[in-house]
Amino acid sequence: MTGQEPDAVLSVENLTKDYPGVRAVDDVSFSIQSRTIHCLVGENGAGKSTLVKMLTGALKPTSGTMKVRGADYRPGNPHDAREGGIATLFQELHVVDELTVQENLTLGMEESRFGFLVKSDLDRRVVATLKAIEPSIDPATRVSRLSVAQKQIVEIARAASSGASVIIMDEPTAALSEREVERLFGVIRRLRESDVTVVYISHKLDEIFDLGDAVTVLRDGKHIATKPLSEVAGRAELIQMMIGRTVFQSYTPRDTVTDDTVLVARNLSNHLLQDVSFHINRGEIVGFYGLVGAGKTEIARAVFGADRFTGSVHFKGKDIGGSPERAIASGIALVPEERRTQGLFTSMTIRENIPVMNLRRLSNGGVYRSSAERAAAVEYVGKLSIATDTIEKHAEKLSGGNQQKVVLSKCLFADADLLLLDEPTRGVDVGAKTEIYAIIRDLADRGNAVAVFSSELEEVLGLCDRILLLFSGSLEEEIANGPEVDVAHILHVVTGGGEHAVQ
Amino acid sequence: MAVMTQTASPDPVQPASGGDRIARFFREYYIYFVLVAVVVLLSVANLDKFDLFERGNFLNQNNIINILRVSAPLLTLAGAFTLLMVSGYIDLSVGSAMSLSAVIYALLAINGVPFLPAFALTVVAGAGLGAINGFLVVRLRITPVIATLITLSLYKGLALLLVQDGVSAIKSGGGLKMPSWFNTYGRVGTFLELPAAFWVAVIVTVILIVAQNRTLLGKYAAATGGNPTAAKLSGINTGAIVFLLYVIVGMTAALAGIARSSFMSLGDPLSGDGMELTAILVVLLGGTAFSGGEGRVIKSFIGALIIMALTVGMLTLVPAYFQTLVLGAALLAAAASNHLVSRKESRS
Repeated sequence: MTGQEPDAVLSVENLTKDYPGVRAVDDVSFSIQSRTIHCLVGENGAGKSTLVKMLTGALKPTSGTMKVRGADYRPGNPHDAREGGIATLFQELHVVDELTVQENLTLGMEESRFGFLVKSDLDRRVVATLKAIEPSIDPATRVSRLSVAQKQIVEIARAASSGASVIIMDEPTAALSEREVERLFGVIRRLRESDVTVVYISHKLDEIFDLGDAVTVLRDGKHIATKPLSEVAGRAELIQMMIGRTVFQSYTPRDTVTDDTVLVARNLSNHLLQDVSFHINRGEIVGFYGLVGAGKTEIARAVFGADRFTGSVHFKGKDIGGSPERAIASGIALVPEERRTQGLFTSMTIRENIPVMNLRRLSNGGVYRSSAERAAAVEYVGKLSIATDTIEKHAEKLSGGNQQKVVLSKCLFADADLLLLDEPTRGVDVGAKTEIYAIIRDLADRGNAVAVFSSELEEVLGLCDRILLLFSGSLEEEIANGPEVDVAHILHVVTGGGEHAVQ
Repeated sequence: MAVMTQTASPDPVQPASGGDRIARFFREYYIYFVLVAVVVLLSVANLDKFDLFERGNFLNQNNIINILRVSAPLLTLAGAFTLLMVSGYIDLSVGSAMSLSAVIYALLAINGVPFLPAFALTVVAGAGLGAINGFLVVRLRITPVIATLITLSLYKGLALLLVQDGVSAIKSGGGLKMPSWFNTYGRVGTFLELPAAFWVAVIVTVILIVAQNRTLLGKYAAATGGNPTAAKLSGINTGAIVFLLYVIVGMTAALAGIARSSFMSLGDPLSGDGMELTAILVVLLGGTAFSGGEGRVIKSFIGALIIMALTVGMLTLVPAYFQTLVLGAALLAAAASNHLVSRKESRS
């Protein structure tokens, strides 16, 4: 696998990337054959995105080499990567809505004489490329009139016409409908015919079997296998490679789980969710597990009243749908997915952050009690052992784990009976993770209901009493956690192998 | 929940290291040093007789009273404007709202409405103008700069419309006469030889300082400006807070208009022109972040004193047309220092 195969367009050798305290990519070597669709799979945290960032010049490897057609390739920035013939299609699109398709395709590559634009064969070339991969898009149309899927294709055409020999696509189907996915696949296949290699990253295993020529599996930063998909026996084998023999056994059944239902959600539907119904009991930790785009955050936000939806949410028998204000008032608190942008007031101190969800508690007839605020801050800094020398420290200066503890403190201070925790340990170091898990268990032990929305299987398996599996906005299956839980089955369901998805 | 637990760290209430403390001290109190420096500079530059307090010198009592008297409109506005900017919003229409209020107040007075009702009605009108801004921004979701640029134009147009053709302002003449009490409020000393308008500015500022430090309004405003998304997800009704702050700004603009109108003894439809820029200047000078989240009412009050001392103090030194230039330079300095401070903080 490490050798220079004759037809390799891109290869990496002994590639390693260290972050402080973590080795994200560990001695990875493999090569990608020219004119193939090469899939890259692995669980969250397997090292896929770090690898892609190194290939596109956004990150520098700690050690190891990368080669393009046998020549050393050391991109210092994304521009170098383009020069080297490697283009990336990111999830967020970089097209200018106000320009036409053709103007977008030639953007930044126009030729001019004395500052005036001149015609060149460039226009003919880009139009030819676009026609070759997607004839239905008129080059004279304004991009603002195209759908997301079509914009994506324009961006692919731009990459292809700028001479890229490798195009990396990171979860390109996340925002597409089924028909659009089919069309994108057509485009990708035609790219292959026109000598472009595609590196395709997706969580959806069906897509990989449908589209790919070869697959590379990463797990915990290590290279597990690279082989033609024709040699992979099926989903089960791929899943096996992705999860390995990792034993997830930190779950111990908890005896505080009750039958006393506090939350009933019925037929939640919106732009992503399809008819999701579930309930949560007092003293219980319920996990919502699914991949990117499965609808975890959408469920949390719907229950919290932060997004619009149809269906009903009853908390302690009362309809509370509407707004975060009403949700908090009736005893629900949310730890949002994005800590820095949604959960934390980074320019404020710890002391100011902690009471934000329940400021009324610190106010007497409108007069704010600063001494009570200080006391509360000291109390929670102690209770959750937030590592800081002063409660006057600005939240932005704390580590990820301590920031998350501040966000948790906000929710605890709100005296919520139901906590919705969206990715509670994302970007948090291992030590703080363990502490946060202990806090969550303690909350449930004291009779609170907790919902954990996570894309980390280990987290859900270690923490939750009951696990709801999601795929593409619908609730596929509910399983009870325990020693005999079938990990392969869970992965089968959340990658689109469940009953619903077949229909 | 109420049980207090002892922490592992020594005492989390205590501030950090020495260097940190000096930086924090400077950031906290620099505006007072600037005020002192400006006063000293102007005293020395204007010194034309030996005794500092003699007539003709900057620190002369009459000069000080004069400065504070003309400062009343700006001092009234600065606090509310600060709270609005702390919540991440802006009101470019304050100057026009002030002009319109001045005209309304003068119109009421000249038509025989007594002081108190005229005063109250004008303040209510100012609240209405603020409510219109709040409606455009919160309900219709028009970008604050655009929305208040629109009302800047509307309010100014309305003020001009209320003044008859052929005259430049509401004043005695044509059978109508300004009542004799009209200029008492803004001009005649009541306490410590300073007029009521100045003391109203002080009272408004004190109320807003208390509101900022000791009530939920201040907390909510800071949260809204600090991180609007997190504020909403924390259950704060950010729309209601912003609306309320626009109304408060409108009311202080009306108070400023009354003060100016009374001081000049006429209802000038252009009397508030440019006030929005001065207000922004003052608030930035006081260290309020343009992006919201941070800022203190008291510091803007001091900032307003600095600007007014500069404006009046420079009158004897440089031609009047230089003033705008100097104020522009001061704004640049304030914006630059604001930027430098935040850059330094994000680096540490």
